[in-house]
Amino acid sequence: MSIIEIKNVFKTYNETSVPVHALNGINLKIGKGEFTAIVGPSGSGKTTLLNIIGGLDLPSKGDVFIEDVNLKNLSSRQLIDFRLHNIGFVFQAYNLIPVLTALENTEFIMELQQVPKKEREQKAIRLLETVGIGDKKDHKPGQLSGGQQQRVAVARALASQPKYIIADEPTANLDSKATEELLDLMRNMNKQYHTTFIFATHDQRVMDRARRIVTIDDGKIISDEQTEK
Amino acid sequence: MKSLVKIAWRSLWRNRRRTILTAAAVVLALVLALFMRSMQFGSYDQMIQAGVNQVGYLQVHDTGYWENQSIDRAFFYNKNIGEAIKKIPEIQMAIPKLETFSLASYGKQTKGVLISGINPVLQNKKTHLGKKIVKGSYLSNKQNEVLVGDNLARYLHISIGDSLVLLGQGYRGITSYGIYTVKGIFHLPSTEINSQVVYMNLTAAQYFVYPYQKGLLTGISLYLKDPLKLQEVKQQLSVSLGKHYEIISWKKVLTDILQSIKVDNISGQVMLLILYIIAAFGIFSTTLMMTMEKRKQYAIMISIGMQRSRLVWVSILETIIITITGILAGLIIVTPILFYLHANPIPLTGEMSKVYEQFNIEPILPFAVKAHIFISQTLIIFVLSTLSTLYPIIYLSRFNILKAFRH
Repeated sequence: MSIIEIKNVFKTYNETSVPVHALNGINLKIGKGEFTAIVGPSGSGKTTLLNIIGGLDLPSKGDVFIEDVNLKNLSSRQLIDFRLHNIGFVFQAYNLIPVLTALENTEFIMELQQVPKKEREQKAIRLLETVGIGDKKDHKPGQLSGGQQQRVAVARALASQPKYIIADEPTANLDSKATEELLDLMRNMNKQYHTTFIFATHDQRVMDRARRIVTIDDGKIISDEQTEK
Repeated sequence: MKSLVKIAWRSLWRNRRRTILTAAAVVLALVLALFMRSMQFGSYDQMIQAGVNQVGYLQVHDTGYWENQSIDRAFFYNKNIGEAIKKIPEIQMAIPKLETFSLASYGKQTKGVLISGINPVLQNKKTHLGKKIVKGSYLSNKQNEVLVGDNLARYLHISIGDSLVLLGQGYRGITSYGIYTVKGIFHLPSTEINSQVVYMNLTAAQYFVYPYQKGLLTGISLYLKDPLKLQEVKQQLSVSLGKHYEIISWKKVLTDILQSIKVDNISGQVMLLILYIIAAFGIFSTTLMMTMEKRKQYAIMISIGMQRSRLVWVSILETIIITITGILAGLIIVTPILFYLHANPIPLTGEMSKVYEQFNIEPILPFAVKAHIFISQTLIIFVLSTLSTLYPIIYLSRFNILKAFRH
C-alpha cells in the first residue's frame, strides 16, 4: 500500500519574466518502507518534487495524497502541523538550529509535538546514541563536523516518528567516510524500523544503496526502477 | 514557552556585539530621557517653589475677591479664622496681607500704585524682600515707613528719607490718606512690581484703609509643611471657614508660571520625541538585521513543524529581553546619578547665577526624582522597542520558507 501518491503534478514558477515549468505531469506512488532515490541532472526538478512531497511547496496543478490526505486541501497552519507529525527532513546543509545543542535539536521537534519533557529527553539521547553521537549530545552544531551534524539531522528527523523522511542531497557536503556511515545509518533505520526514505541525489553511492531509483528530467519521470539490494 | 525563551536568549548572545550595541542604544535613550526630564521637572519645581514662596500654597479671601479684587471685598480677621488655621497642623505659616490701590505723590509727580501691607518679618522669611533693597533699608516696626520700587522712585524723583503722600479710596468708600517716609528702595525681577508697588507695615496699611477697626485683610497666604496635602488642607479649611471665604490654590494664582512651564514642557517633549525617534530607529534597525539574518533559521523551524505564531514569540522575546536588559542597565546607571544630583544640585555661577538670584530663585540646577518621571520614560522606551517587533511579525506572516532556504 502506498503512503504517498502523486497524481499528474505540475509546478510552474512565475517569478521571472519567463515562466519556469519545473514539473510537467508527475505521477508517482511510494509505499511504506521504501528507500527511494530521485535522481536526475541539475534543474531536472528533483528538489521541487521533494519540496512538494514534503509539503513545503504546493503543486500548480495536480494532487499529492499522503495516505488519504490531499495536501492541497490543508491550510498553511494545518500543513505545518501535518509536517510536524508526518514528515522528517534531512537537508543538504544539515539545517540544525544553531543555538541549540545536538540533544536540544533532537528534542525540539518532540517538544513541538508536546511530548513530555522526560520522555523526549530519553528518546533524544537514545536516538543520538543510535546515530552514533551520544557523546556529542551537548555540542552545538558549530562544534560538530559535517557528518556529525547530518547524523543529528537524521536523529531529529526520526524523533518525530514520521511516516517518511525526505532527504535532499544529504551527502553533498560530506566526505566519503561520513557519506558511507550516514548511508549505513539510514539503511539500518529503514530496515530496522521500516522508515520510508526518499532522497534527491546526484551521489552514485546513494543510488547504489537505493532499492528504487526514480529518474526525472525536464520535470518528467523518465525511468522508475526497482533494484535488488 | 521555556524553549522559546531559550532560543531567544541564545540567539541574542550568538551575536554578542550587536546585542550589546542595541541594549546600549536603549540605555543611552533612557539615560538621556531621564536626565532631561529630571532636570526639566527639577527646574519647574524650583520655579513653582519660588512662586509659591511669594504667594503661598493657599490663599484665603473673602468670597469673590479673586474675581473682583476691590478693597470693598476685604474682610476682618477674627478669632474663628485664626482657630481654623491653627487647627490644621499641616499649615506651617500664615502670612496676612492687605492690598489696595492708591495715588502716590511726591513734589509735582503723581502715580497710581498698589499698596501692599505686609508683616515685614514673615514676608522677609518667605520672600527675602530685605535682600532686594538697593538703597536705604528694610521695614522696621515703625508705622510710617514705606518701601518703593526703583522705577517708581525714579518716576516720582523720590529718595530715602523723603515723604510720600498716599491718597486713595479706603474700605466702604472712605477717603484714605497719609504721609510716609521712604525707608528703602527695592528692585525685584518684575518691572511691573518695581514701577507700581509700595510696601508698608500691615498695621499701617490697615489704618490707612480703614482706621475705625483693626484687622482688615484682603488675604492670608498659607504655607504648608507637605505640599502634597494641599487638597486635604483646602477641603478642611473650606469646611471650617464656610461659604463666606474662598480658598484658592497657588495654581490659580501662578497662572503665568504654569503657562510658561507648559510652553517649556512642550519644547522639552519635542526634544524627547527626537531622541525617541533616534533610539527607535536604532532598535528597529537591529530588529531588522536580526530578522534578516535568521531567515534560514526561521525556514528550518517552520519546515520541521513550528507554527509561525510561535516564531513571532521568539522574535518578540528577543526584543523584550534586549529592552528590559537596556532599561535595567539604564536605571542602574542613571538612578544613583539623579539621586545624587537631587541631593547635590549643580551650582550656577557667573551671569546665570545673577539672573536666578534676581528672580528670587536659588542659583542651582536642581534635579527631580519623582516616580512618574521614571515610570513614564521607562514605559515609553519599552513601548517604542516593543513596536519594533511589528516588523518581524509582518515579515513572518508573509514569509516564504523556500525563498529563505535559497538565501
